[in-house]
Amino acid sequence: MAQRGFTLWFTGLSGAGKTTLARIIETKLKARGHKVEVLDGDIIRTNLSKGLGFSKDDRDTNIRRIGFVCNLLTRNDVIAIAAAISPYREVREEVRNHIGSFVEVFVSCPIEVLAERDVKGLYKRALAGELKNFTGVDDPYEEPLTAEVVVQTDRETPEESAARILARLEEMRLIVAAEPEGYSEEDEEEVRRRLEGLGYV
Amino acid sequence: MGLLDKLKSKASKKRAVLIGLDGTPYTLARRFIEDGTMPRLAEIASRGALLQMDTSIPDISSVAWTSFMTGANPGRHGVYGFLDLQPNSYKIYFPNSRHIKSETLWDVAGRAGLRSVVINVPSTYPAQALNGILISGFVAVDLNKATYPPELVARLQAMDYRIDVDARKVKESHDALMDDVLETLKRRVAVLLDLFDNQQWDLFVGVITETDRLQHFFMDAIEDTAHKYHSAFREFYTRVDGFLGQIAERLRDETLLIMSDHGFTPIKQQVYLNRWLLDHGYLKLKENARSIEDIADGSQAFALDPGRIYINLKGRYPNGSVEHSDFRQILDEIKQGLSEISADRASIVKRIYERDELFAGPCLDAAPDLCVQSVYGYDLKGAVNKEQLMDREVFTGMHTQDDSTLFISAPAAALRADKPHITDIAPTLLDSMGLAVPQGMDGHSMFKRG
Repeated sequence: MAQRGFTLWFTGLSGAGKTTLARIIETKLKARGHKVEVLDGDIIRTNLSKGLGFSKDDRDTNIRRIGFVCNLLTRNDVIAIAAAISPYREVREEVRNHIGSFVEVFVSCPIEVLAERDVKGLYKRALAGELKNFTGVDDPYEEPLTAEVVVQTDRETPEESAARILARLEEMRLIVAAEPEGYSEEDEEEVRRRLEGLGYV
Repeated sequence: MGLLDKLKSKASKKRAVLIGLDGTPYTLARRFIEDGTMPRLAEIASRGALLQMDTSIPDISSVAWTSFMTGANPGRHGVYGFLDLQPNSYKIYFPNSRHIKSETLWDVAGRAGLRSVVINVPSTYPAQALNGILISGFVAVDLNKATYPPELVARLQAMDYRIDVDARKVKESHDALMDDVLETLKRRVAVLLDLFDNQQWDLFVGVITETDRLQHFFMDAIEDTAHKYHSAFREFYTRVDGFLGQIAERLRDETLLIMSDHGFTPIKQQVYLNRWLLDHGYLKLKENARSIEDIADGSQAFALDPGRIYINLKGRYPNGSVEHSDFRQILDEIKQGLSEISADRASIVKRIYERDELFAGPCLDAAPDLCVQSVYGYDLKGAVNKEQLMDREVFTGMHTQDDSTLFISAPAAALRADKPHITDIAPTLLDSMGLAVPQGMDGHSMFKRG
């Protein structure tokens, strides 16, 4: 089956593991011969969305821009992977409807765990009031109601989460299963015998 | 399953059930309704349309079921037989689910968020991921590779599920084979009903293969009331009827389809087309040839089961000997010659199709140049080691192309009046579930528009 484009959209709180998972999936899909592009929220904010802040309007604009690029890639049969907090349900749905072939992955992790982990030191600063409009602290995060995949990064390793995402994509027939195994040599002998039994060989 | 899928699954979309009876002829189903062998089918048939259906050419299960599940012709889906030759080679391979080039019915349903349970459809091995569950049918070898998701294997093992009848039992005795047919049916029905009851589904597809196995070896029993297995044959069908009744009892407002992938008729003779090609100088074989892999230089044509003829064209095969400029002439000669094969002073050939009359699509390069369709009773075979043009083996039944069964639980007035074709079933099911029929399907819904 030829590759069809689709958008794989990771949403979740800061530090939940969106970028990590996006990069694992990117590597695995590329190894299978797919064309893949990752749009990482942190990187997008340094170029495509440079100058935008964290008000609801600015956040929505950022998501619409990422969605716009994902749509261009998707319609050219590239797999577009977006990793952005994308806290608002309405604009995520808007992007989903615009793109059509859209798979939402909710990267779920309790905020207590994230604040404890605090890889980038952001939660500490937000909780101390040094960072304003921080999602999950003093800015809302609206969990997806319709995500195709929910991964729980406090309970699963990144490899486990990635495997579940890939399995779901296979299940949706957006990608073909990894190892195309048909009949082994032993199987072939058995197939031959069975077909002989019915007079077909 | 995502929440969206769950919501969609519970929405107003109508569920559908398809029960497959491998090889059950329409005429036999009618007869068993009339003579009381299948009272439950009689009840079911009274609430819908029981129709005679055409199947694929070639009319064997691998091609027919693939045409069913994809709604496509072999030129699109790429399966022309139980065995085929690798490209630019005489090396045989056995097509499996990975060789199917078209989307299946359950791929389409899954994309719409609908969940399918698919049990024992031939040519689905190895089981591929889907939104739902799938247990592969013939020729599945390993239950682990035949089952998706893998967690289901333990349950199937606990229920002593059997993938297939062991047809080789006939070498032991016909009694042993009949016992195996009945036991396999029993276990199959148990799993079909268990998954019907305990799985969530929008589309349920369950196939009984034992009908086909019975008919390959006992087809002579049905016409002959004095035959040792006459009543056993009918009792077997009464059991199948009981299963159909059990399904019917469980239905609420689902659309029900019952189908077979081809019909059956008693064999008079098996006819070996490679013997004919050898005798007429078109085919040359190495000594002690066992299959077409042992083709010798200078061959102009060869046959594969059941009635597929290939011209050994230069550029298409490693030892192709026919120039493109001679292709038409050789083809016409062979068509003429084959049409003259006769028995009991009548031709055994009903019609010979050229490739483009039957097939269209991206897999056309692998298509046979001719497909020979025989009259009832003369089973065309691709064996290479036969001394005579015709003989009889242990088999007493052969497939037919124009006598498959199709039941749709809708009044005949709601359906198209023309004869259904096996590729119409997938579009009909999708239509009944409120889904659009994708472009890659050649068939058309049997439901009238509007």
